[in-house]
Amino acid sequence: MNPLDKPYAQLALALLTVLVLPLFLKSGILATEILIFAMVVAACNLLLGYTGLLSFGQGIFFGIGTYVAGICLTRWSVPVPLVLAGAAVLGAATATLVGWLSIRRQGVYFVMLTLAFSQLFYFVAYTFSGVTGGDNGLLGVPRPSVGGTALNSPWSYYTFVAVCFVAVFALLVMVTQSTFGRTLLAIRENEGRAAAIGFPTKLFKLEAFAISGAVTAFGGALHAMLIGVAPLSNIEYHTSELILIMTIIGGSSSLFGSVLGAGFYLLLADALSTVWPRWLLLLGLVLVTVALFLQRGLWGLVERGYDLVFRRERAPETPAEEH
Amino acid sequence: MINRRRFLTTSTLAAAALAAPGLVTRALAQGEALKIGVPVPISGAFAANGKFATIGAVMAAEEVAAAHGVQVSTLDLDTEGKPATAVRKVQDALAQDGVKLFAGGILSSESLAMGKEVERGGGAFMTTAGADEITGVDCNKATFRWSVPTYGAINETVRPIIDALPDAKKWYTITPQYVFGDGLLNAAKDVFAEKGIEHVGNSYHSLTDKEFSGYLTNAIAAQPDVLLLLNFGAQSSDTLRQAVSFGLKQRMTIVVAWASGLEQFEALGPDICEGVYFGAQYWHGADTALNRELVAKVQEKHGFNPNYSFAGSYICAKLLLEAAVKAGSPDGAGVAAALSGLKYQGLTGEEEIRAADHQVIKDYYLLKGKAKADMADKDDYAEVISAGKSFLSPEDAGCKMPA
Repeated sequence: MNPLDKPYAQLALALLTVLVLPLFLKSGILATEILIFAMVVAACNLLLGYTGLLSFGQGIFFGIGTYVAGICLTRWSVPVPLVLAGAAVLGAATATLVGWLSIRRQGVYFVMLTLAFSQLFYFVAYTFSGVTGGDNGLLGVPRPSVGGTALNSPWSYYTFVAVCFVAVFALLVMVTQSTFGRTLLAIRENEGRAAAIGFPTKLFKLEAFAISGAVTAFGGALHAMLIGVAPLSNIEYHTSELILIMTIIGGSSSLFGSVLGAGFYLLLADALSTVWPRWLLLLGLVLVTVALFLQRGLWGLVERGYDLVFRRERAPETPAEEH
Repeated sequence: MINRRRFLTTSTLAAAALAAPGLVTRALAQGEALKIGVPVPISGAFAANGKFATIGAVMAAEEVAAAHGVQVSTLDLDTEGKPATAVRKVQDALAQDGVKLFAGGILSSESLAMGKEVERGGGAFMTTAGADEITGVDCNKATFRWSVPTYGAINETVRPIIDALPDAKKWYTITPQYVFGDGLLNAAKDVFAEKGIEHVGNSYHSLTDKEFSGYLTNAIAAQPDVLLLLNFGAQSSDTLRQAVSFGLKQRMTIVVAWASGLEQFEALGPDICEGVYFGAQYWHGADTALNRELVAKVQEKHGFNPNYSFAGSYICAKLLLEAAVKAGSPDGAGVAAALSGLKYQGLTGEEEIRAADHQVIKDYYLLKGKAKADMADKDDYAEVISAGKSFLSPEDAGCKMPA
């Protein structure tokens, strides 16, 4: 195992990211968005990388979190901790429902089911415009307050999100390192064998769905508070697609790969979109490259780089010890 | 992150300062540069609109710089047509670049969200987006809208046609099912009821539909005299194309209430547009002083006629920048005060910014597509049948302007 894949190394890298982003980015808004998507993509990675489930339903949970924040904060002034908890609970509940129906099928049929649910929830949000604001979304979602001070400045809200991000990332690392996480890997590798051993594989998958949905909805709620609006686009199928693309680019073999994927995509979009209107073409090329040559994504590159630098240096030591 | 920002800086023109020295106010005379953000979709499905909008804003910036001897720069902000991205870019521009003036927002959802954000950031925002809420229930002190809302668009298209075609008593509507579409439909129903028109049916479609033949079949079955299309952009173009290929133009009069202007005519071509009525916010052939001047300048500089995306962005940027010069500062409160109640000669003739809801009172055009043989030049797709101003009162529009 590459030392970088160890849980403490992953957590240390996440902490380092939180500390380094303000040094390199002028925009606190962009830095905050990277952290929010990093946790959402890591939650997707729990399904794709650890359980082998390619779900197009992540946008549903992200949108639900967005709407929970939008409705609770603009209409009822619910305290933010309750809003975030409520978003996570509703996200988990919805993911359980979607997962319960979707995991009955495997492979392409599973993917199609999650895609169908994605469209279904989008049209529900679109149709019930009295609740969701329809195409216009819900406007005026306030930022949270700490000690009576609203976190209106970009970097103060970044700090709030950074704390949430580290906590969520640590939770996901714990999940993947637990017996539960190991079992998910076993299911991904060979579901039939895992079932034969006696693991209730469907229940495990369902639990992975619920955790992923909770984290994604939590991220959606943070996102609504970041941009001050709960837009319909957050529950669109394109949001699911975006989360999946970030997951694949980052690499699905490591949770920190998800942070890399989110950061890479958002920084690329930010840098290129005004320079070149067709910048999405470049994204297509990146995806093709990853699919053909970098199946472990950006994290695979990091691992290779680490091996080149450190393992080569250590290589001469091994024969010397043997003599 | 610097790369994302393309500052198109127009120079301070000393000669212009000499030409108009008295107009530069105290604060700006200290060398303060004016910055204006142009948040429009530069990439994605609406990239073509965004491209013209950014050029239009640059032309306005150059004119204001030349007229008042101030330095003006434009900052392109790619919204990608997504409200979330739009808001983030506006937040960044406010916090990092110190931009207080924003002209843009082609889509309603992104404009509503950006308007709130600009208000929170103490700036001023002018848009051409269509949602009634912008100067209705979601109006705010920082947001201004140049385009005519749904009520005016319907009244300035449906009424003149009813008057011109007294025998056309049966109308059928095709409507996108969301707030904007319902706004147009409700306004149309009110006019139908008042004029004794029989509304023989309506087909709702979603914002993602591309295939309209089913709705058109329903329309044919209802045997209307007029087919009124209440969708917009690519969807209205697709509906119209399919209606023409179904032979509906020979059976009934077709009206597109909310057309995009020259962009849409170019996409459709004269064969489809001939004989069809279009409602439009702007037309380059409109006979007003400022429009003639703009068309000449754009032709000279860029070699094309200004379309709605260009003209809308141009006039919004120009109004905001002129107001900032007048106020002596780009701060939202001063700019809003300078804009509120302003009467000026605009692209559509005499225009006024209503203080109560920040809605620009301007003409809306009814156009009729020309036959290819009758076109004087490649852009002479339509003749102006009528133009007029129809607006709900701020109270009826639902605007309660925050103090």
